[in-house]
Amino acid sequence: MLSIDTQLMPRTAQRATTRRFLLWLLPWSALLIFGLYGAGLCLVEGLNQTNMDNRFAFGLWIFLDLTVIALGAGAFFTGFLLYILKKSELKAVINSAVVIGFVCYSGAVAALLVDVGQPLRFWFTFWHPNVHSMLTEVTFCITCYLTVLFIEYVPIILKNRKLRQIPSFLVFEFELHKLMPVLAGVGTFLSFFHQGSLGGLYGVLRGRPFAFREGLAIWPSTFFLFILSAAAAGPAFILLTTWVVSKISGKQLVRPEVPRLLGRISGILLLPYVLLKSIDTLVWINSTSPARGFAAQQFYAWKPFGAWLLFAEIAVFGLFPALILLRRSLRQRTGWLVFASILVCLEIALNRFVLTIQTLALPTLPFDQFLSYFPSWQETATFLGVVAYGVVTYSLSFRYLTLFPQEKDLS
Amino acid sequence: MIGHFIFLGLFYAVLAVIGVTILLSLHRSFSDVRARRAEAIAWQSTFPDLPARERVCRHQFTGEFPDRICDRAFDCRECQTHAALIAKRASESTPAAEKAVVFGLDFPLDRFYHRGHAWAHPEPDGTVTVGLDALGERLVADPETIELPAVGTHIQTNGAAWRVRKRGANVRILSPLDGEVIETGAPENGWYLKVKPDGGQLDARPLLRGAEIRPWITREIERLQASLAPDGQIPGQLPTMADGGVPMDDIAAGYPGVDWDAVCSEIFLQA
Repeated sequence: MLSIDTQLMPRTAQRATTRRFLLWLLPWSALLIFGLYGAGLCLVEGLNQTNMDNRFAFGLWIFLDLTVIALGAGAFFTGFLLYILKKSELKAVINSAVVIGFVCYSGAVAALLVDVGQPLRFWFTFWHPNVHSMLTEVTFCITCYLTVLFIEYVPIILKNRKLRQIPSFLVFEFELHKLMPVLAGVGTFLSFFHQGSLGGLYGVLRGRPFAFREGLAIWPSTFFLFILSAAAAGPAFILLTTWVVSKISGKQLVRPEVPRLLGRISGILLLPYVLLKSIDTLVWINSTSPARGFAAQQFYAWKPFGAWLLFAEIAVFGLFPALILLRRSLRQRTGWLVFASILVCLEIALNRFVLTIQTLALPTLPFDQFLSYFPSWQETATFLGVVAYGVVTYSLSFRYLTLFPQEKDLS
Repeated sequence: MIGHFIFLGLFYAVLAVIGVTILLSLHRSFSDVRARRAEAIAWQSTFPDLPARERVCRHQFTGEFPDRICDRAFDCRECQTHAALIAKRASESTPAAEKAVVFGLDFPLDRFYHRGHAWAHPEPDGTVTVGLDALGERLVADPETIELPAVGTHIQTNGAAWRVRKRGANVRILSPLDGEVIETGAPENGWYLKVKPDGGQLDARPLLRGAEIRPWITREIERLQASLAPDGQIPGQLPTMADGGVPMDDIAAGYPGVDWDAVCSEIFLQA
């Protein structure tokens, strides 16, 4: 007789034994519980549990939110390429992309709930929206898009080996799948706006000349740079997670041309991003910042936030991986593909770190001081809890659902 | 103020699109179930999830293609390639035979075979007898339960004709035709269902027949051997059958440690 565990796995997939899987889940579950405890303390006791204050109002959590939302952009962008532009090769990773997107966005929403506090009043933002705030747009778009991701996740769940034995479930999955281009379109629309709004959030900070940017109409340049950088990072993160899962599981999950295509897409988007980011930086150095009364080099006088960060962001983690990913001969080699993808993901993390942490650390008024911030253990626990939640959810999905349809033909 | 309306209008429009999408899917699903399309749709949804080795085109069995995967869920009725090849075949005379014998298993050629191992035999009175072929019988021999449809039930092509439970495997035997069940049998009878086909006669176009049977079953036996091999077995080093050997009446009894659900799913085309 088969164990329930085995009966729930895809028939053609070979997975680790139940014991090994439980051992894998154990540390992540412990981390998740630790995170829940930290988050619980913040919710019950208040934000005095954190090392943030009225001056340093954004910390580790906002950095986490911005980063995972950018990395999770692979879900909308892959959906857009597959369902709208008909790039059928991406069918091989769309399920995984949806799960990654769902994990990233739900994790971000969870962290935001803790950060905003007053969880019982979460609905205020919908009922009493401040339409002049970029954050309102972000909240609306993220919750809507999380709903879309959940709807996209449902068909993958309904195709579980046990659930699919109920024909009505498969019928619903089939009908829902037929409308997937509509959801992909809605997802793209929402993602464009919330990725952009997250960037715009910094660009409109007139009191923070390090972040303030000129732009087009009401949108600062960071609005567009965030969209482009997220679109570039999403495919790279899917490539990276696919490789990591393949290594951990010891299975070939996709045909070699799939990561190459993802790498190429990432490279094609990353190069213009680096170009635009460079132009934006030059405009900021020579015009925007001086107009606010600051020479740009002043911002880099505060260690450790030296000019090396700017160089690393544009050249090391931007231009370098873009050139690797655009070179066909290097894309043929998994090592280079993975290396470049790691750099792209680090690029996004560094960009979001700089805009969140460096912006708030720098003094902007004569009597201001350079601030330093280090997260409290409760903040760190919540951060790690979100990461653990992501790993646990993805691991369960990989074990019991078909995330990589090509796996059945490659095993 | 106008900004308020535009912003909130866009937000509610998006919510409306999401809501309508879900409602539309639910409405269509209910309509499908009411119109008895559920089984056919379930097959359409399942087919792409089968491994490529299970979706091989029937014309590969007969050597007309070296490598071809079916993309029509085994529905040859609208396939132009199939129509052209059948027309070509009709001009070639083939010697008639009563049955194909593969590895000691008999496959009478007076009937049509579904890829899921059910057969359909048209009777003179216009009804169709449905049974399980020799390989299928040996895979689910001596089952724990057999769940036959009630007389009067309408079965659909590629939907569940009846269900068998065997050593943890819940097997849906896929129906070779659309029609109404008018009588039920049992393994001892050599058949399971008598069906009054929709349209008055069996539409056998998607079903295998004649010269296709031997290469198909040979391939099925190979697939069975592969699925019986321990995990990680290198292809090419799979268990081999001794010359003159005949599969046991109850193959499952010879493989007590094998995931029988996986084996049956492979052979009976269940994802």
